[in-house]
Amino acid sequence: MSTLVTAVTQRLGQLGRAWVVPLLLLAAWQWMSSRGGAHGYVFVPLQTLGATLASLVASGELPQHLLASLTVVLKGLAIGGVSGVIIGALMAGSHSAEALISPLFNAWRPVPTLGFIPLIALWFGNGDLAKLVLVSLAAAEPMILNTFQGLRSTEQRLIESAEVLTFNRWQLFVHVQLPSALPSMLTGLQHALGFAWIAGIGAELLFTIGPGLGGIMERAQMAARMDVVIVCVFCIGLVGLLINTLFRRMGSWLLRWRDAR
Amino acid sequence: MSVTEATAGTRAKAGAETSRFTARQLRYRLLAIAGPVGVVLAWFALAHSGRFSPLIVVPPQDVGRAVLELIGTGELWTHLGQSFHRLLSGFAAGALLALVWGTLMAVSRTVEQAFSPLFNAVRQVPSIAFIPLLILVFGIGETFKVLIVAKAAFFPIALATYDGIRQVSKGHLEVARLYRCSPWQRLRHVIVPAASSSLLTGLRLGLSRAWGVLVAAELFAADFGVGQMMEAGRQMFRLDIVFVGVLITGIIGFTFDRGLQRLEQRLTRWRGTAVTA
Repeated sequence: MSTLVTAVTQRLGQLGRAWVVPLLLLAAWQWMSSRGGAHGYVFVPLQTLGATLASLVASGELPQHLLASLTVVLKGLAIGGVSGVIIGALMAGSHSAEALISPLFNAWRPVPTLGFIPLIALWFGNGDLAKLVLVSLAAAEPMILNTFQGLRSTEQRLIESAEVLTFNRWQLFVHVQLPSALPSMLTGLQHALGFAWIAGIGAELLFTIGPGLGGIMERAQMAARMDVVIVCVFCIGLVGLLINTLFRRMGSWLLRWRDAR
Repeated sequence: MSVTEATAGTRAKAGAETSRFTARQLRYRLLAIAGPVGVVLAWFALAHSGRFSPLIVVPPQDVGRAVLELIGTGELWTHLGQSFHRLLSGFAAGALLALVWGTLMAVSRTVEQAFSPLFNAVRQVPSIAFIPLLILVFGIGETFKVLIVAKAAFFPIALATYDGIRQVSKGHLEVARLYRCSPWQRLRHVIVPAASSSLLTGLRLGLSRAWGVLVAAELFAADFGVGQMMEAGRQMFRLDIVFVGVLITGIIGFTFDRGLQRLEQRLTRWRGTAVTA
């Protein structure tokens, strides 16, 4: 009984400690905002932030822009992800393809994704197409890398067993290499999702034409609407966290067969 | 280069039956050269086919000329100097703070419990999303760029410091306690060597993130800098200058990454000979 009480108090203490600092910061924020003048501009009062969030949601503005951002990101993830898997698989399957592609891949990789924005703007304009191209590029990179590494690191003894069973190349790929590469490919997909989300927001900040969270944030910055900017930063973080968690859950569910080993 | 290849070729032909390995290696090398050469040739062909305006497909020689022009006028050095200055001040501030922060979180349970929710919440927001916020607060001057670079560097390095210190084996610490090592000795001889690999990986990640965010921030607003050079090139439809910018950001990113990787290998070389714990 007493151990239970200690456990409960300990747990409460932990929870308390986890909340102390955020709550103190919020209180300090609120206090700063009440000092008037320039303070109220930077430290937007919490009730104003709440009201802005409510009005952005009620007017349908926030959901609409959020949906637009998510659409671009998911489309780019699909295009970049699929091409990444194909390129990675080609490189892993054939030494000639690896020799041909890897110098180009290694030349492209160190360029920061957002550094491609001026080039993409000149080639694809500054609308939805340009955003899609940038997001696809961002998503393709980790997918190529992780597909390649995953397929290449198939255990030798599995490949030898497949040889004993006289698998042809396709059977080897589908029944041996692909399943053993799946964990690495899912890691790649998770990275791709994170990169795509960042690239999408970055593209929207710089290509402000068309709907998107980055777009309203940039317009709010131009109009000095600090409240809208803060609400957007909050939403971007929250959505990033949500899609990340969702994908991780999905990944461990898809790979649950591995725990049997 | 061509001589070595020619000898490699004859050797490969001579010993074709005995060592297929060399022939395969040669083929690999040739293909590895063929990729980039093919791209440049295709680029030449496209640019000279007359089907595309030089505004869309800029001839490769124009890019070369732009490099010489930018070097000749000294413009390139101004841009690079500004970018490096911002990068170094932001990275140094972010990295130092991250080392202290990560250590505190790893050493004290109270600090960890109190700050990790906040730390993880802010970590979720991509650095680039803070750009409009920082511009509103600090204006479009230097402060916001240095701050965004520091933010980008801080999180991966703090996380790596925390992980690195947490992974120090309990056994090593106990031995240190038995030898009555002072806290400083414990840090210097046990914790830092054991955490060094994770730390250096964090520094590498932090530097590459910082560089990417800086280029993006300079695209937004800057008087000089590699990002600003590209943005100005875009506005003037100077595709050659934009290309030079992309090349330079890539070369710098590559150099940072490779440099820190080498450092990592060199500093953790003792690991290879050590008995695994």
